[in-house]
Amino acid sequence: MKEKIKNIFIEGPITGSFIGEKIASHQSKTAIGGHSIFLGQVRGDIIRDKTVAAIEYSSYSEMALSSMHNLREAIISKYALTCMHVYHSLGKIKVGEICFFVFTSAPHRKAAIDACAETVEQFKAEMPVWGKEIFEDDSHQWKVNQPL
Amino acid sequence: MTGTRELVLEGITDTDQLIREMNNRFPCLKEMPCLLAVDRHIIHSNTLLREDQELALLPPYSGG
Repeated sequence: MKEKIKNIFIEGPITGSFIGEKIASHQSKTAIGGHSIFLGQVRGDIIRDKTVAAIEYSSYSEMALSSMHNLREAIISKYALTCMHVYHSLGKIKVGEICFFVFTSAPHRKAAIDACAETVEQFKAEMPVWGKEIFEDDSHQWKVNQPL
Repeated sequence: MTGTRELVLEGITDTDQLIREMNNRFPCLKEMPCLLAVDRHIIHSNTLLREDQELALLPPYSGG
């Protein structure tokens, strides 16, 4: 499936209505039997007595978009997906807001579920996206991804 | 992390030389394990450079 490179980045949080619209827009794709959705939400971690208030995301977007394009093609092909969408926020995202949205669709549930899980892990490992944890006192530190 | 988003360098012939030059200009980089991308491809060993290539120092990712 050769498609042009999609822009996965959204300024600000990913809203519930955006997610709902994306789900609704697939109702016409009658080959789909199952969707799997992952939502990454900013967590209010407490690190050495300081509470995270927000994460500010930035990206080397030229490289991220082409890497994501390659990942998308590989996952769609591996799992024979009907459809796949990935979105990630840029900018300051508050605790409780959604910053990451992976949505995979296939005729049967196993492909959709497995593809969604693999996409989440590959994204976290491979995409040049960074989060700066901003604490309630306005100090910050750079986030480090943890395995599972 | 260095406070500089973009830099134009001249007279750098390979990536090992680039890393030395960057570490000299920004000593904090020595503490930070970064990947190096040349024209948006990660490289893992010393690579000869041509003029006008885009290089990026990438700290550990934390997206998703």
